[in-house]
Amino acid sequence: MTTIKVEAANTKTTVIEKKKKVNRFLKSGVLGWVVILVVWQIASLFSEEMFLPSPYATFKGMIEIASDGTLFVYMGYSFARVLAGWSLGLLIAVPVGLLIGTNTWIRTILEPVINFVRFIPPLAFITLFMLWFGIGEQSKVFLIVYATFFVITINTLTGVLSISKDKLLSARSMGATKFQTLLHVVIPAAVPYIFTGAKLAMGSSFMAIIGAEMVAANEGIGFMIWNARLYFKTDWIFVGLVVLGLMGFLMDRLFTYGGRKFLARYKVVS
Amino acid sequence: MPAIADAIILKNGAKTFQQDEDSPTYVLKGVDLTIEKGQFYILLGPSGCGKSTLLNIIAGFLELSEGNLEIVTSNTNRDGRGFVFQSADSALFPWLTVEENIAFGLKMKKVPTEERKKIAEHYIKLTGLTGHAKKFPDNLSGGMKQRVQLARVLANEPEILLMDEPFGALDAMTRRSMQNELIRIWRETNKTIIFVTHDIQEAIILGQKIGIMSVGPSSKITTTYDVKLSYPRDLTTAEFNDCYRRVQAHFEDYGI
Ligand SMILES: Nc1ncnc2c1ncn2[C@@H]1O[C@H](COP(=O)(O)OP(=O)(O)O)[C@@H](O)[C@H]1O
Ligand SMILES: [Mg+2]
Repeated sequence: MTTIKVEAANTKTTVIEKKKKVNRFLKSGVLGWVVILVVWQIASLFSEEMFLPSPYATFKGMIEIASDGTLFVYMGYSFARVLAGWSLGLLIAVPVGLLIGTNTWIRTILEPVINFVRFIPPLAFITLFMLWFGIGEQSKVFLIVYATFFVITINTLTGVLSISKDKLLSARSMGATKFQTLLHVVIPAAVPYIFTGAKLAMGSSFMAIIGAEMVAANEGIGFMIWNARLYFKTDWIFVGLVVLGLMGFLMDRLFTYGGRKFLARYKVVS
Repeated sequence: MPAIADAIILKNGAKTFQQDEDSPTYVLKGVDLTIEKGQFYILLGPSGCGKSTLLNIIAGFLELSEGNLEIVTSNTNRDGRGFVFQSADSALFPWLTVEENIAFGLKMKKVPTEERKKIAEHYIKLTGLTGHAKKFPDNLSGGMKQRVQLARVLANEPEILLMDEPFGALDAMTRRSMQNELIRIWRETNKTIIFVTHDIQEAIILGQKIGIMSVGPSSKITTTYDVKLSYPRDLTTAEFNDCYRRVQAHFEDYGI
């Protein structure tokens, strides 16, 4: 009797283990990539290479641009521009968001302006920024700053406004000054919102930089994509797309990992 | 015998929220209140009558529209009043551990780290939070969270504790044990307490004096009732029930 029971239990565990393995595989997202590759491959069979290169042709193209290091240099350029603009944007937008969030007067004055300007996409400013800041790195970095500014400011502002009144009152009744309340209550409470804003701003940064590099740059992934059309190198365009996705994905993962590791107590990642 | 000193005196207090000067609607009107030092005072009234508003005025969070409020403390702290909010979730700082929450006020006052730790530890013990110091509020039960709130306020050593329905959201059993704990802490620390509730039973379990508020608008304290039972109070005695009936009768007199 007893032996039979043990055996039954054993079979059950192996079934559960198998299910767990399948689950882990599904959650890893590999399946989605396989599907995309298959669909892409099939679609390319019905098309010409110049119109829609196959995954393999794209891979070959990638080796081609990567072999002399060009791809990595371009990635470096685009990434450095995004990083510089995004960091600077964060540095400017967070204090502005805190200021608008904590000061009713400034909020009343600035909110309509912000809600007007934020609908002007960064790309609309490319020519102006080149005129103002030259065709060098400055105009590109500032374009990214612009692209990140509103999303981070508005998220920070939302964070500040969502703090419960009880937290502010209790800080006050425990003797916190206004500045201490800002530092020890308002900012910590807004951290998850700021984090989300910063994450969203990464997407905007990539949009802005690719546009800027297409119009005015001699290096970078945007330049590569734009330039490929001159040589009918459609595979390079696809390489550019893949690399862009990869860079954004990695940056997002790194940022999320950092948030989970260093900002765990603020619950920035749920 | 030492003279009994008053801690809080409110004369003819009134509060209106709307700006319209011609026809103000009063939430509170003609509120008179005197609370002795060390007294456990209950503000009892139906929901929406203005208990929180009155408590916020006493806390200094809201201003009186009319009348005069006097707070008497020998406290060296800013104002000697500590506030325990109804919802621990909205009042506690979830990014700080229990210990850090409790030491918050001390940190703001730049008390050295070592001393801060010692004081926090003392109040952790007093409120029965031993073993939870390193936890975050989100990982505590509702009753435990209210203990943290209480400890956090006590760490600043206020002479007056203002508590706004702090046990309202707890289950009946946790609530009973928190009531007993509060009585114990009150007797150990000699604080003046104003405790807001809409529950007659809770009022009689806790209070020495019960101020009964009328329904709003223009609500005020219509009657005060002294509870002459000794602590800890036994709900099952005839005296307790007698008290309950009498307080209830006050409500019926005012048609609540
Ligand atoms: N900030 C406010 N502005 C306008 N009306 C308010 C405000 N706060 C409270 N009130 C009104 O005052 C009355 C009393 O509220 P409150 O003091 O919260 O009652 P209680 O705590 O007894 O339930 C309610 O009718 C409420 O709508
Ligand atoms: Mg209330």
